[in-house]
Amino acid sequence: MVELHNTKGYQFIAGWLAAKGYSPFHFQQQSWQQIINNESGLVNAPTGCGKTFSVFLGSLIQFINQHPDDFKQKKNNGLQLLWISPLRALAKDIGRAMEEVITETGLLWRVGIRNGDTDTAERAKQKRQMPEVLIITPESLHLLLAQKGYPDFFSSLKIIAVDEWHELLGSKRGVQVELAISRIVNCQPAMENGRSSVWGISATIGNLEEAKEVLLAPLQKSGVIIKAQLQKQIEVESIFPDEIEKYPWAGHLGIKLAHKLIPVIQQSRTTLIFINTRGMSETWYQTLLTACPDLAGSIALHHGSIDMELRTWIEDNLHSGNLKAVVCTASLDLGVDFRPVETVIQVGSPKGVARFLQRAGRSGHSPDAVSKIYFLPTHSLELMEAAALKKAITENMIESRYPQLLCYDVLLQYLNTIAISDGFSPEETYREVISTYCFRQLAEEEWYQLLHFITEGGQAMHQYDDFKKVEIDNGLYVIKSRKIAMRHRMHIGTIVSDAMLKVKFLTGGYIGVIEEYFISRLEAGDVFTLAGRNLEFVMIKDMTVLVRKSNAKKSMVPSWNGGRMPLSANLGKKLREQLSIAGSRSTTDGSALSAELIALQPLFELQQKISHVPKENELLIEHIETKDGFHLFVYPFEGRLVHEAMAAILAWRISRIRPITFSFAMNDYGFELLSDQPIPVDDTNVYELFSPDDLLNDIQRSVNSTEMAKRKFRDVAVIGGLIFQGMPGEKKKARHLQSSASLLFNVFSEYDPGNILLRQSYQEVMDQQMEEARLRDMLLRIQESTIVIRFPEQLTPFCFPVKVDSIREDLSSEKLEDRVRKMQQQLEQ
Amino acid sequence: MQNPVPHIILGNIFWMSPDRSLFWEEQNTLIVTDVHLGKTGHFRKEGIAIPQKVYTTDLQRLMAALYFYKAERLIIVGDFTHSTQNKELDLFLKWRKDFSQLQIDLVKGNHDILDDQWYTEGAVTLHPWQLEIGKFGFRHEDKRYQKMYANSKAFYIFSGHVHPAYLLKGKGKQSLKFPCYYFRKDSCVLPAFSHFTGGYLVTPEKEENVFAIVENSIMKMT
Repeated sequence: MVELHNTKGYQFIAGWLAAKGYSPFHFQQQSWQQIINNESGLVNAPTGCGKTFSVFLGSLIQFINQHPDDFKQKKNNGLQLLWISPLRALAKDIGRAMEEVITETGLLWRVGIRNGDTDTAERAKQKRQMPEVLIITPESLHLLLAQKGYPDFFSSLKIIAVDEWHELLGSKRGVQVELAISRIVNCQPAMENGRSSVWGISATIGNLEEAKEVLLAPLQKSGVIIKAQLQKQIEVESIFPDEIEKYPWAGHLGIKLAHKLIPVIQQSRTTLIFINTRGMSETWYQTLLTACPDLAGSIALHHGSIDMELRTWIEDNLHSGNLKAVVCTASLDLGVDFRPVETVIQVGSPKGVARFLQRAGRSGHSPDAVSKIYFLPTHSLELMEAAALKKAITENMIESRYPQLLCYDVLLQYLNTIAISDGFSPEETYREVISTYCFRQLAEEEWYQLLHFITEGGQAMHQYDDFKKVEIDNGLYVIKSRKIAMRHRMHIGTIVSDAMLKVKFLTGGYIGVIEEYFISRLEAGDVFTLAGRNLEFVMIKDMTVLVRKSNAKKSMVPSWNGGRMPLSANLGKKLREQLSIAGSRSTTDGSALSAELIALQPLFELQQKISHVPKENELLIEHIETKDGFHLFVYPFEGRLVHEAMAAILAWRISRIRPITFSFAMNDYGFELLSDQPIPVDDTNVYELFSPDDLLNDIQRSVNSTEMAKRKFRDVAVIGGLIFQGMPGEKKKARHLQSSASLLFNVFSEYDPGNILLRQSYQEVMDQQMEEARLRDMLLRIQESTIVIRFPEQLTPFCFPVKVDSIREDLSSEKLEDRVRKMQQQLEQ
Repeated sequence: MQNPVPHIILGNIFWMSPDRSLFWEEQNTLIVTDVHLGKTGHFRKEGIAIPQKVYTTDLQRLMAALYFYKAERLIIVGDFTHSTQNKELDLFLKWRKDFSQLQIDLVKGNHDILDDQWYTEGAVTLHPWQLEIGKFGFRHEDKRYQKMYANSKAFYIFSGHVHPAYLLKGKGKQSLKFPCYYFRKDSCVLPAFSHFTGGYLVTPEKEENVFAIVENSIMKMT
C-alpha cells in the first residue's frame, strides 16, 4: 500500500493548501488515502466542512500520482471524475469551487456541467471532448446513457462521486443512480487499476452502513465509511405569538407572526427563511416586503420554479453578502455554503430531525461558530414540535432513509433508455440489474414479464396489434423508432418530482406553477390560493391551468408536497413525550419545562377542559358530532403515513361491524374518521379494534378498499411511461395520447390486474405506509396503554388541524346502490 | 344485457341500460356515442401498453346489445374511432361482416378522421353534421345555434362528446361519481360507450333528468 504522505500528489496538494494557510482535516486525509488505494466508500460529513474536497482533491492527488512528471502539461485527459448531484442549483457553485482549485494549482483540467439547464452547444462540445470533471444530475446521467457509443465517455473514468447521497437514497432518483453505476462500471474496458471507484458523500443519517451498502452494491465491494468527527453547536429558538389563545389552531402559513421576523432579519448579516412549499414562499416574500418596505432590493425569493438566471443571481449575491434575506424552499437545503448567512429561520414543521439540522447548518460557518435557527410555528400546536426537535437534537436522534426496493417503473424506464443508445442483451443486463441493491430480489420471472412488457406490450391479440417500443434485433433489445426514442428522452426527467403545471389567467398573464396532484382534485369553479391570490379554477388546457380572479372569501390552500411530508417516527416519539410533560406540567428528569410548553399552557388547559391531554401511556379518542356528521378523532402521534394506514385499517374493521361509509383525513398528530351515522367505537370494543391480531390480512383488505394504491399509481404510471406528459412543440399532435392516471388505474385494475406497474403501486403502499412491523409495534403500544374516549361538545384544539385537512380517503362496506339511495335521501332533506 | 330502463320522449320509448347504450324502440335502433374504437391500438402503436382487452370488451358489449334488442340499425353520435388507422380497426371490419344486415350511421365527431374509404369498407353511412329522423336529431356536439344547423327541423337532439358524469354528494363529506344519461328539455347527452374514457361533470337544472349508471343498474338522480 502506498502511504499517502509519501506521494507526489499529496505533497503538491498539501503544499498548495499550506500556502493558503489551510491544513487538511483528518477525514479528508483518510479519504485521500483510500482513494489512492482505489478503495470505494462513503464520506460522512455535514455541509460546510470541506466534504467536496475530500473526494475532489483525492481525485487530483490520484491524477498527479499517475503523472508525476507532466501533470501540469497534460490536457484532454478524458473524464476522470463524474460528480452526481441531486440539485441543478448546486452544480454551478461546486463547479466554481473546483475551477478555483484547478486554476490555482496550475492543472489543465476542465470542469463541465450537464443538466437540464445546459445548452445544446455545450452538450455537443462535451460529446466531442469530455471534460475531466463532469457535474451531472441523475436524470442527465441517464440521458447520457441514452446516447450512442456512451461507453466511450467512461473509458478513462476513475471516480464516480455521489454528492448528498442521503437525499437521493430514499427516492427513485437514488434507484436511477444505482442503475447508472451498475451500467458504467460494467461497460468500462479493463483498466490498469480495475474499474472506477465509487464514493458517496452523505450527511448523518441513522443508517449510514446501509447507505454505503446500497451505493456500492454494483461493485460487489464492501468499502469503507469515513466520518468527519465535527460536531456543530446548534441553538434553537422559537418565535412565540403574543397571545397563544388568539393564534390559529390550524394553518400552513404563519404570516401572522411575520412582524416578529423583521428584527431578527435586521440584526443578522444574512438570513435564510425556509418555507415548506413554493406557493407559501411566495406569500411570505410579499408579506415581509409589506411589513418592512426597507427590505426592497435586499430580499429575494428562491425556489425550484424560479427562472434559472434569477436563481443564479440570488446565489451569487448570497455569496457576496449583498442580500439581507432570502425566502427559500428546499431549493437551498443542500450544497456549498453561503458564508454571510448568520441566521436561519424555519417556518412550519421541518417534519424531521435530519432536515432541521441540515437547515440549521446553513448558518454559522467557522468551525467553532454556533448555528442559530429560529422556529416559527404556523399553528399553535406546532410549537410542541419545536420542543420535541430540541430534545431530539440533544439526544442525537437522527432518522434513517430507507432505500426503495424493486421499482419496476424506474427499471422499465432504464431499459428503454439503454435500448435507445446501443441496445442491450437480456442475459448480461439481468446480471447487472440484480447486482444493484434495489433489484437484488428481482425474480427471473418478473424480469421476463418486464421484457415482455416493453417488447410485446403485455397481453395482446397479435394479428390486430401494432404495439411498438423495443424490438429484438439479433438478440439485442433496441428501440429503432426515432419518434419513440425522442419521446422517451423527454420523459427521463419525470422522476424529479410531482408534475408541475403552469397557471395562467384566461385572459393571459402567468401566475406561477402548481402541482398537478392538487389541481387534479379540483372541479371547475373551485377557488384556490396561489401567489397570494384567490383564483377560480376554470380548466386545464395544453398542460396549463386556466383560472380567473375570484373574490370568494373562502379558498383552498394547496396541500403541497412539503405539507404532505410525513413526520418521522423519531420526532413522533419525542412529540408524545413532550405532550405527556405538558399534560402533567412536570418533566421526568426534573429539568425545567421548555418555553414552548409553557407558552402552550392555555391551549392545553382548554384541551383538558373540553376533552383530555393524553399522557405518554394513553391514546386519546374523541367522538364529536357536527353538521358534517359523526367524527371520530384518534391521536397516535405517529406521522401522517402511519395514520393513513391506521385510519384505513380501523375503518375497515369498524365496517365489519355494520354497513357504514367513512371518509377519513389525517395529519401528523392523528386521524379522523367521518361518517353520516354514529361510529360504533366504545369501551367494549376499542381494544379489539386496535388489536394486532390478523393484522396482515386486514392490511391487505384495507389497502384494496381504499385509493392509496391509486395515488401511488400516478407516479408509477408516469415514470413507467404509461402517461405521456407532452413535450414542447408536440403538444397538439399528442392530444390523442392523453389519459389520466386514475382512468388508467381503473382500466388496468379491470382488464389487466396482473400488470406489473399496478402491482408496484400496491407494493409501494405496503412497503412505505402499511409496513407491518411498524403498525404492529404501534398497536402493541396501544394495547399496553390506556385508551381514553371522550365526547367533547365542540371541536378541540387537537382535532382542528386534522379536520381542516382537505385530502380525504373513502372506505365503505355499504352496497353501492344503497349508498346512492341514502345520499339522495339526505339531499332531499 | 341487464336491467334496461325506459324513458319516454315525444311519445317514443328509449331504453337506457348500464352498458351505456340507448335503444329506440319505435325505430328498432341502437344509439351509442364516443366508442373510440382503436384507442388502445393508438396508444400501443406509440409504445404505451394499454391492455387490448378494453377494446375487445367494448366490441363485445356492442355486439351483445345489438343481439339483445335485435336492433336493425346502429346510430353512432360521433367519435366512433379514436385516431388514425391501426390494426385494431381491422378487427372491426372483420366483425362488421358478421353484422352485414345492420345499418350503421355515423354522425362525424372530432375524432372521426379516417379516410372515407374506411367507412365505405365498413359500410358506415357518414353524416357530416347531423342525422335527422322525424322530430329527432343526432349531432356529436350540441351546438344548436351554429350556422350549419340553421335548416335543421329536429325538435329533440341527441349528442355525445362530453362523456357526461354526475357527482352525488352526501353527508359526512361523501361523494360518488358515475357516468350518466343527461336529459334536458329538448336534448339528451349520452354517456361515452367506451370504458377507456374519462368523465366531465354535468350540473343539471330544475326539471332536467339525470340517470346514473351505478354498477349494473340505472338510477334516477334528478
